Amino acid sequence: MSGRVAIVDVAQTKHGAPYIRNLTVSDLVYIVVKELLEKTGISIEDLETIITSSSDFWQGSGCSNVFYFDAAGAYLKDSPKVEEDSALGFVYAFMRILSGHFDKALIVAVTKCSEAPSISDITSLNSDPFYQRPVGIEEVTAAGLQAQQYVSRYKLSDEIRAEIAVKNYRNAINNPYAHRRMNLTIDEVLGSEILAYPLRRLEVADGSDGAVAVLISSEEAARKLTDTPVWIRGVGWSVDHYFLGDRDLLEVVSLREASERAYKMSGIRYPRKQIDLAEVCETSTVQELLWYEGLGFCNRGEGWKLIADGVTGMYGELPVNPSGGVLATNPYVARGLIRVAEATLQLKGEAGRRQVPDAETAIAHSTHGAAGSHHTVIVLGR
Amino acid sequence: MRKVAIVGVGQTRCGRRDDVSFPELVHEAVKEALEDARLDIKDIEAFITGSMPAPMSGINAPHLYWADAVGAYRKPIIRVATCGTTGGSIAHTGYYHVASGLFDVVMVVGAEKMYEGDPQGVMTTIWDYRYERPFLAGAPGVFAMQAMEYIHRYNFTLEEVAEAAALLSVKHHLAALDNPYAHIKQEITVEDVLRSRIVAYPIRLLDICPISDGACAVILASEDKARKITDTPVWIKGLGYCGDEQLLADKDLVWWLSAVKAAQKAYKMAGIENPVKQIDVAEVYNPFTYQELTFYECFGFCSRGEAVKLVKEGFFNKDGQLPTDPSGGVLCTNPIGATGLQRIAEAALQVMGRAGKRQIPAVETAFAHAMGGSYSLNSVFILSRSK
Repeated sequence: MSGRVAIVDVAQTKHGAPYIRNLTVSDLVYIVVKELLEKTGISIEDLETIITSSSDFWQGSGCSNVFYFDAAGAYLKDSPKVEEDSALGFVYAFMRILSGHFDKALIVAVTKCSEAPSISDITSLNSDPFYQRPVGIEEVTAAGLQAQQYVSRYKLSDEIRAEIAVKNYRNAINNPYAHRRMNLTIDEVLGSEILAYPLRRLEVADGSDGAVAVLISSEEAARKLTDTPVWIRGVGWSVDHYFLGDRDLLEVVSLREASERAYKMSGIRYPRKQIDLAEVCETSTVQELLWYEGLGFCNRGEGWKLIADGVTGMYGELPVNPSGGVLATNPYVARGLIRVAEATLQLKGEAGRRQVPDAETAIAHSTHGAAGSHHTVIVLGR
Repeated sequence: MRKVAIVGVGQTRCGRRDDVSFPELVHEAVKEALEDARLDIKDIEAFITGSMPAPMSGINAPHLYWADAVGAYRKPIIRVATCGTTGGSIAHTGYYHVASGLFDVVMVVGAEKMYEGDPQGVMTTIWDYRYERPFLAGAPGVFAMQAMEYIHRYNFTLEEVAEAAALLSVKHHLAALDNPYAHIKQEITVEDVLRSRIVAYPIRLLDICPISDGACAVILASEDKARKITDTPVWIKGLGYCGDEQLLADKDLVWWLSAVKAAQKAYKMAGIENPVKQIDVAEVYNPFTYQELTFYECFGFCSRGEAVKLVKEGFFNKDGQLPTDPSGGVLCTNPIGATGLQRIAEAALQVMGRAGKRQIPAVETAFAHAMGGSYSLNSVFILSRSK
């Protein structure tokens, strides 16, 4: 590999905000790309490649990237689209810089969930039409099956689950970009209706509208563009079996694989000690615990202890989702790149009221697929 | 910069494939590619997959549905989708996987099962929903506008261009007879083309590609690995990708800037100054005969407005100066998510000298193209026997 790659800067919309409903997908893309170019002081002519990330199903258009191609500034540029998970768009851009063919790359991701059917409806189309779709397997029901398995295997209490939701919605209050910013009690979470037993409405990530853009560059270019580059230290991504019945939903093998690859590349041996904060992609409360385990923050079945002991709270030893995470903000395909953007703001020391003090190393994690079948782990450092 | 080579290709028989499910179809291509490169699935470090807009096959995030069929369990897999250009885009993605130094051997897989969906319905959703979708259906209508624009730009008569288009159709249909993977295998005459029914004036049925079910897989490797895997690595000497605006009225569809620039980028990287002299065979993405004429001009195979004359002279025939689409091209086989990758696989086979009855003699350098989006995305590869 040739040299180091840095994140220069990031930009995001105020996700799920009322003003966004009147804007098109192209408008959202344009807003974040323009803001990022202004922030970094480069012009669109300085960029040769723009990696976009969106979903044709979510956008209701074939070739969703073509629709906002001009808005992304991609006219007459090398601009492909990575589907379903913008964290993968980020790793593709990273590979392009590593190759030495490009010295700068912009990644932009967008989804307007308000213009699409529900997450359950769209993700039921992720299920094959023969076995899984007819019995109602989609993101929410799969998360419910996974949660129930966790509850029965590890005797997880309702209160711990609710505390995760309380933590994330409360953290979101400090995040001006977050969608659902709420100060809730455990009783309020447990009092919301059941969506997929045992998960309740406030334990499951609903959709948002939003866009996010990230500029990365070679070390040489980064030194000229910013005083606070954030280095990409390691990446890993991996997939599990497709059929839920073929998987132990609590083993999260693809997350273990992805994190091992990212840790190996970045020289991380003791994640809990060496990582200062993590932005994870929890589509349900129980998934946040599973991701702790898969990321090696604790042993199997012990994720709940990190919540009980406040380890992953805002003032804990390893804060997780100081932004409020995906429960608070979920513009579906953009959510992975938002994790990268939030981790970057933390390492730059620009996270405002959600800032974790002295953050040196952070993780951005993303997942898509039923019960977290595909995972991406990105290690960032100052 | 790290060199990247193609070390194996796999294609399925294309056509209506009711005998297999979508993952089974993909698996066929993967298995073929592994056998071709004499590799085991364990040797593949990462997978790059793609297809048309996922609604084409009615499954969202199809890379997850394919994951076990391609053998990606616990390995990196990514989905890149850019409509018709997908086959080119995933090959680009595979190239950067290896060129980055993160991986040494990766597999690129493209597939489509179009008979299970409503292809023209899905393609209608590519057009902008405010201005264009209300009066554009599917693909042929736009191709027709493009054809008319071409005819008027260079003051041709319709008959002159229709004859050249028909000659191309006859040539590709004849070539497809030699391609065991091709879908439409039918010997036709110029009169058959000119008498076939009009789909969108002036485009006739035999000027148009079919819909197909099919899959294609290509294995890419770093220089060290490539030399160990095969005696005939095919080097990716140049690659280019370029996108134009979405709205049709905003762009020139006769002198396509995205096609011109994609080719220029690839030529520059590969050191090609005179395409006709330096390229031995070209696999052009040619879903419509009239459109193919514009591509020849954009790629510098001839000057502007000259393609009609050269087609009539046999310039692009199998024994001509620059043979195009000896596979029969997209016109005879079109599983869209795989189609662009088939161009690369076919070009690679030509360079390896293993293209069977469709082999062009002594191919040193080959050209492979893909097009998609709202006639806005173009990808070009230059493959060569030498580094």
